[in-house]
Amino acid sequence: MTDLLYNNQHIYLFVALLLLFFGIAGVVYRRTLIGMLVSMELIMNGAGLNLVALNRFVSPENGYGMAFTLIIMGIAAAEAAIALGIIMLIFKKYKHIEGGDLKEMKD
Amino acid sequence: MNLGEIIFLITIVATLGGAAMAVLSGSIIYAMMGLVTTMFGIAGLYVYLDNPFLSMMQILIYVGAVSVLIAFAIMLIGPLYRKPKEWTTVGKFVAALGVALVSLFMFVRFVMETFPRAGNPSFKITTKEIGRLFFNNLVLPFELISLLVVVAILGAIMLALFSRGNK
Repeated sequence: MTDLLYNNQHIYLFVALLLLFFGIAGVVYRRTLIGMLVSMELIMNGAGLNLVALNRFVSPENGYGMAFTLIIMGIAAAEAAIALGIIMLIFKKYKHIEGGDLKEMKD
Repeated sequence: MNLGEIIFLITIVATLGGAAMAVLSGSIIYAMMGLVTTMFGIAGLYVYLDNPFLSMMQILIYVGAVSVLIAFAIMLIGPLYRKPKEWTTVGKFVAALGVALVSLFMFVRFVMETFPRAGNPSFKITTKEIGRLFFNNLVLPFELISLLVVVAILGAIMLALFSRGNK
């Protein structure tokens, strides 16, 4: 039963790769900070899917990839909380959330 | 093609379609909806990878916590209807596509040549063994994650207090 479609490792890896593709494109293409944060979440999900797929197919005798994916989920939740707090602060100060117009740190 | 494979293909289409919607849609609300669709699709892929616990955690944390947090932020940030499009230029779209395609083709050959195609059908890691792994071998990362979450909560509270003091 190894010729089933969902026992094909390459499909999972390519889905994770396409998630990385969409995430990088979104970080460059999006204009608002929340759109960039959504794209970052896509990249993190792609990384988690990659780890779980490699754990399932390459070394099925231990569960380190799954444990690391759980750690990634915790880090993503903390990162989203902090990033959204900073975005709220930026909105209260500048009245917009566009990433291209924030130049104070550059000067 | 049996029923499992058809549902698998639907799951993949939902994942990638949600990701495309999260990137290409004009409104942030639609982007968040695309993110939720992608999360559910990845939860389905975790089920196909014999990990129902991780699938439940994916739905609980990403759909239940992170997406709701983003929804609250979108609601609090307020009148985005004055700028309904993200009015990015064509040049920016081409640049984004170029950067993403370079990163895609860098990894395609790596994936094709490094990893074997066929799967190993015997995978017996249960939730109990994940718990044993966390509390036997990964005690320090587990505690560091709890410390990180506490620091994130305190940081979010401090940011909220600062924004109130500035008014």
